[in-house]
Amino acid sequence: MWALVLKEFRQVRRDHRTLAMMIVMPLLLLVVFGYAASFDVDEIPTVVVGERASAAEGELPELFQVTESHEGWDRSDAVDHLRNGDAVVAVVTSGQEPRVLVDGTELFSARSALTALSQNPSVPEPEILFNEDLDTSAIMVPAIAGMILIFVGTMITSLGVVRERQSGTLEQLAVMPFKPRDVFVGKVAPYFLVAAIDLVVIIGVGAWLFDVPFEGAAWLLGLGALLFLFVTLGLGVLISSVSENQGQAIQLAIMSLLPQVLLSGMIFPIASMDASIRWISYLLPLTYFTQISRGVMVRGEDIAGLWFPLTMLAVLGLVIFSFAIVRFRHDLMPAKVRRSRRPSAVNVARGAGSAGPQPEEGAR
Amino acid sequence: MFVSAESVHKDFGGFTAVKDVDLTVARGEVVGLLGANGAGKTTLMKMLLGLTTPTAGRVELFGEPIGREARKRIGYVPQGLGLYEDLTVAENLEFIAKAFGVEAPPLGDLAPSKGVLVRDLSLGLRRRTAFLGALAHHPELLLLDEPTSGVDVLARSDLWATIRTSAEAGAGVLVSTHHMEEADQCDRLVVMAGGRVVLSGTMDEIVGNTVRGSERIESFERRFAELAVA
Amino acid sequence: MTETNWGLDRVSVSYGGRHALEDVSLALNVGSVVGVAGGDGSGKTTLLRTLLGLASPSSGTVHRPDDDDVGYLPASSGVYPDLTVEENLRFAAGAYGVDGGDYRVARDELLQRTGLEGVSGRLGGNLSGGMRQKLGLAMALVHRPRLLVLDEPSTGIDPVSRRELWRLVSDAARDETAVLMTTTYIDEAGRCDAVCVLDEGDVLLQGPPDGLVGSMGGVVGEASSPPDTPFAWRRGASWRLWSPDGFETPETRLVTPDLQDAVIVAALRRREGGEVAA
Repeated sequence: MWALVLKEFRQVRRDHRTLAMMIVMPLLLLVVFGYAASFDVDEIPTVVVGERASAAEGELPELFQVTESHEGWDRSDAVDHLRNGDAVVAVVTSGQEPRVLVDGTELFSARSALTALSQNPSVPEPEILFNEDLDTSAIMVPAIAGMILIFVGTMITSLGVVRERQSGTLEQLAVMPFKPRDVFVGKVAPYFLVAAIDLVVIIGVGAWLFDVPFEGAAWLLGLGALLFLFVTLGLGVLISSVSENQGQAIQLAIMSLLPQVLLSGMIFPIASMDASIRWISYLLPLTYFTQISRGVMVRGEDIAGLWFPLTMLAVLGLVIFSFAIVRFRHDLMPAKVRRSRRPSAVNVARGAGSAGPQPEEGAR
Repeated sequence: MFVSAESVHKDFGGFTAVKDVDLTVARGEVVGLLGANGAGKTTLMKMLLGLTTPTAGRVELFGEPIGREARKRIGYVPQGLGLYEDLTVAENLEFIAKAFGVEAPPLGDLAPSKGVLVRDLSLGLRRRTAFLGALAHHPELLLLDEPTSGVDVLARSDLWATIRTSAEAGAGVLVSTHHMEEADQCDRLVVMAGGRVVLSGTMDEIVGNTVRGSERIESFERRFAELAVA
Repeated sequence: MTETNWGLDRVSVSYGGRHALEDVSLALNVGSVVGVAGGDGSGKTTLLRTLLGLASPSSGTVHRPDDDDVGYLPASSGVYPDLTVEENLRFAAGAYGVDGGDYRVARDELLQRTGLEGVSGRLGGNLSGGMRQKLGLAMALVHRPRLLVLDEPSTGIDPVSRRELWRLVSDAARDETAVLMTTTYIDEAGRCDAVCVLDEGDVLLQGPPDGLVGSMGGVVGEASSPPDTPFAWRRGASWRLWSPDGFETPETRLVTPDLQDAVIVAALRRREGGEVAA
């Protein structure tokens, strides 16, 4: 029996990847939860409009960070700002009474705002826009839609190339007259369709079961979803090309999913994340898609406010896709000689003398 | 008789892997179990090892039904070699030796690779290590599943030399293989196809004494083709 | 018919300082089958990959036709387990641009020659090993390639399928294709028109099989007890041995060597530091 124990110890000691996971993961989670996991909001971006704007500014508690203050703007400008996610609270001082508008899609900021304002009896009852009942499902369903796209896009796609490698058919593809680009597209195309169908189903079911609104333009959400899919699919193929087996692929896919769930603003608001962690959110694609999906579905946001997340997704997509294609080419056909397409040409590959090719699985 | 299998039958749900097979292995003989992948060789071997129970028929080792005692007298090398990739040669052998309660075997030619992880060894050296491990407790019966596939002619010859030496020392050996080239190395052959035994006897009995060289293999394949068209 | 010469010309391949192939020259001519034999670590896979353009030589030249003119049967058959026989063939045809009427003609012919016409609707994963290899071969021949490359085509399959496979390959060779196949079994290599035996990246023996046996030199004998020479190996229950010039012991009877003997002797001579028979 001791022989078995000793053997197992020896194996574990050598398995650096698992050891790292056992020690690093908990530490990482500790740090993240310490700095990111918070529902408390310290500052709420606010706009103040109307004639008595500057006066109102001074009266607001510290919690409200005034980002814009314009006497010339009126209520509809304020609403636009809220819709575009530029601010969470708007104080409208034009008209007889000052009105306070609160963006209901930022649940925790809204709640903090309401609490702070209720302490001042002279302030009238704030109006909650967009998600009047402060309904959690209204803002969760759009975020979950993003998560579905990650599941289909990254996790399932990552298995595609690995499966091919394991069944031995990848070799053959490398020899056939396919370009790496062809194989790449072939691996990715069906999942685009599946993801699109999935998205429609989730939104449909969400609207039906949870009364999630759909205020904005469908094409805008579609565009956001398309760009987001580029990123997730590219990531899936990238993971595929660095994984030796399906287990590894799934491991990496989960590792790419987990931080996005925790840090994209899906559960914990970005506003309450410590600055030292917040920068990570801005690197995550789900962050931007969630902004788009929540904005379009619940607030009816238009392109004016969404150009930034859309652009970010486009940039991320481009970077990851390029990486994936390069890696794919390197992985699939590392030393393939560029050939002329004339049918009767004889291909001649000359050795360079001292240059060595990329190392493969080992000489056989 | 070290191994005695009579009318052995194995069903898996709707599929019959082994049909009515008789097999014996006596002391000191090397019996070759020949057949393609899927012919039933590995399933048959598993039944001889007691890893699976036959649906019908009888298997006896050393004259008795299979029991824990018999295991100690068997040396088995599976197709996948059964070595731990992330342990060194020495660690693997140490583990096997301890499991059987014997001394770790001397490494001989493997000495220079003692501290190398099995993962980093060539196939030939891996097979050599697996063999050493299987022989460590001086078994009376050796069951080897495709022990020489993938290695070059010289390494194959060396492995067969080890098998022969064990047989000469009194062990009974059952070797499964899918290539006819190995047939000449065995004292007796049992050829399987589709779960059944289609040919058995010595190579000479099967192809005739006068046929030589590569013609023996062609002649063998012809006889097989005649019988296996089922 | 133009006589085109493909193959390797003094090719060496090294990976990070290690020589996988050293100075290998191999001619692949239309109409002939070349067998490359060797075990794990011999360089046979590197040779194959270099020929196919999946690895670059560090010196020497590789001559091969365009991708469209190469057919490849990988060791794992290259058959998609979750596609049917027909779908697999259609995919391969599509990859090489064989469509429509051309495809149907090729498909019917190949399915008939491989004996698979009855199972065209069966999933690749449900085929026996022999049938899968035959399908893989059909996929490699669907576009009538000028060069056919087979990686260990008969490993693990039954003798009947192996014969059929061999017949298909030699038919293909006759039909204006150059064929190269790799194997770990000498007898299989012995059926080819020319053999190249690799050992640790070097060419151990090369030439037509009969010629290799004929030019072996020395004599091969059989003995029943362990001989006292390094040039000895086991064959069945007895020993075989080689000597450059006759045997002293009378118990050793002479035998006619076969290709396997020739290869073993060459390997032993190399191991003992002598020169290898050309």
